[in-house]
Amino acid sequence: MNYHILKKDELDGFIRKLATKMKVCAPVAKGHNNFAFEEVSSAAGIALDYIPTILPPKKYFMPPREKLLDFDISGDKPRDTASVDAEKLAIFGVHTCDLAGIQCLNMVFSEKPRDYNYILRKENIFIIGLECSRYCDGSATCALVGNHYPNGGYDLFFTELGDKFIIHVNTQKGEDLVEGMGLPKASSAYLESLDDVREEKRAVFQNEIGVDQKTLAGIVAARQESKVWQEIGSRCVSCGNCTNVCPTCYCFDMADTINLDMKTGFRTRTWDSCQFETFATVAGGENFRAERAGRQRHRINRKFSYPLDKFYRSFCTGCGRCTRTCMAKISLKDTLKALVAESRSVSHGTGQYSSSSLPLSGDESMVKG
Amino acid sequence: MKTEKEPVKTAAKPKVAFFDFACCEGCQLQVANIGESLLDILGAVDVVEFREVMSEKYDKDYDVAIIEGSITDHHAEERLKKIRARSKVLIAYGACAAIGGVNGMKNSFDLDEIRQSVYGKDFKLFPSSPTRPIHQVVKVDYTINGCPIYPPELIEVLKHALRGLPYTVPDNPVCSECKLNENVCMYERGVSCLGPWTKAGCNSWCVNNGNICYGCRGEVTNPAKNANDVIGKYNLKPELVKNKFDMYNKCKEGDINVNRK
Repeated sequence: MNYHILKKDELDGFIRKLATKMKVCAPVAKGHNNFAFEEVSSAAGIALDYIPTILPPKKYFMPPREKLLDFDISGDKPRDTASVDAEKLAIFGVHTCDLAGIQCLNMVFSEKPRDYNYILRKENIFIIGLECSRYCDGSATCALVGNHYPNGGYDLFFTELGDKFIIHVNTQKGEDLVEGMGLPKASSAYLESLDDVREEKRAVFQNEIGVDQKTLAGIVAARQESKVWQEIGSRCVSCGNCTNVCPTCYCFDMADTINLDMKTGFRTRTWDSCQFETFATVAGGENFRAERAGRQRHRINRKFSYPLDKFYRSFCTGCGRCTRTCMAKISLKDTLKALVAESRSVSHGTGQYSSSSLPLSGDESMVKG
Repeated sequence: MKTEKEPVKTAAKPKVAFFDFACCEGCQLQVANIGESLLDILGAVDVVEFREVMSEKYDKDYDVAIIEGSITDHHAEERLKKIRARSKVLIAYGACAAIGGVNGMKNSFDLDEIRQSVYGKDFKLFPSSPTRPIHQVVKVDYTINGCPIYPPELIEVLKHALRGLPYTVPDNPVCSECKLNENVCMYERGVSCLGPWTKAGCNSWCVNNGNICYGCRGEVTNPAKNANDVIGKYNLKPELVKNKFDMYNKCKEGDINVNRK
């Protein structure tokens, strides 16, 4: 596909035109260095220089609370009607970490049985990416997982070149839009400038943990009895912030609500979190992950270990949201570095502990105290 | 636990009565704030006693008794026990009834000292006891938390009670709903908030409207044991958080001797 050029002072016209075709959402400042994707009608409110938003764009693909169906139990047989509300939407300014997050969710929800609500929404969402030329802050680990560069997953992708944007067109929908707006094609000089931007990034973005993804997956898998889990578990508040803000966490809970007529009602699904006390509690009161340490371990496994076997990619996008949102200062970078350091000390024979000396499931005092 | 949660017979509409003890009656006022759904509620139940809106009294058994307020003297205790004996289902309604609420602040002081400050030199004429939420006095079938109660939760609990189903108060911190509402965290704003320790179910009502969480719904079953990391990250004073807790949650100390489900 092609590259086109948009002058920065023409961005406002671009957004306004786009907003006549569909709802447009973009990052806006919420104060206190917090940002959120919200509906915009011009470029005026858009924060082009933003750190990852409170919630990732997944909120448009799988809303935090979503009605799935209406039901009626008044007759002999219950009746239900599926419900999906998938409006045409453009998301502008999606960073490469969040593009990766959407790609991960696409894989999850396309697996059989396919999730039609997700897929119908995805079909109606037009994605415009935006390149980061530097780190948003010290919480990000995008270079570790290779998400500091674009790897597809968008219709259009914007990179700043001085007073212009160079736009990579990745889909037919994207082509139709830029052609319709009459944006000029990029000359070879612009393509060379783009190469320069990418080359400069190579020096800026360095693997934040110092080991590659595959090695890290092996380390995480081998460190299931690590003392690191106890350490972060002792600090965890179990608020679920880390998973709610994660671009690739997709667990949800379902509930039926009956109306006051006691005959009709509806079914909703709401984001759930493996960090909640109640998440792994089953009938009879048994809780398979009663300890915070075990729940934190599960979260890291679900990002760095399990998905590499199932989907052949990391489900950490490197956005750094889990670190930023944690009130108890649990840092993903520090956790991974501690696991790597522990692994090295064990493999060099300097580690004194064995897995049997640190039984994760035996320590009930931390939970019940 | 065995409860009396048998479905209320639909032949006649269930008789519902409201009662208040030590409280501001603001939670009962919330009933009037429900809006259109109030008509649906009144279509489903018969309100037989409700001092705030009607003068009639009822002399038979209640299908559902909704109790606002906490228990602060022996008169209240006796009256509550009589209501319990006449009620098939009893609902603790609002923070004062559910967890003691602000009335619990009384328990931070010596009883005679606090009586004297309220009633003056003749304080001995006015009996008083430490504040108790109603589950510390009688068996409670359902709890509607909050100061004031969150009206959508009242409707949910009422529907569960009418169908004889148990209602589960979310046992996750308020943050779990606050984050879904994409609020800027109060700690990020430099203010301490009790959301991380307080039961959800209010849809982070206060934070959505620019206020902190005061902990009015009571603590989650297994709250984070220390707040030091949180306090340290945001450079806050530990006593600040402790004092905020005592505003609504002082009566929790009384739960140690009460087998509460």
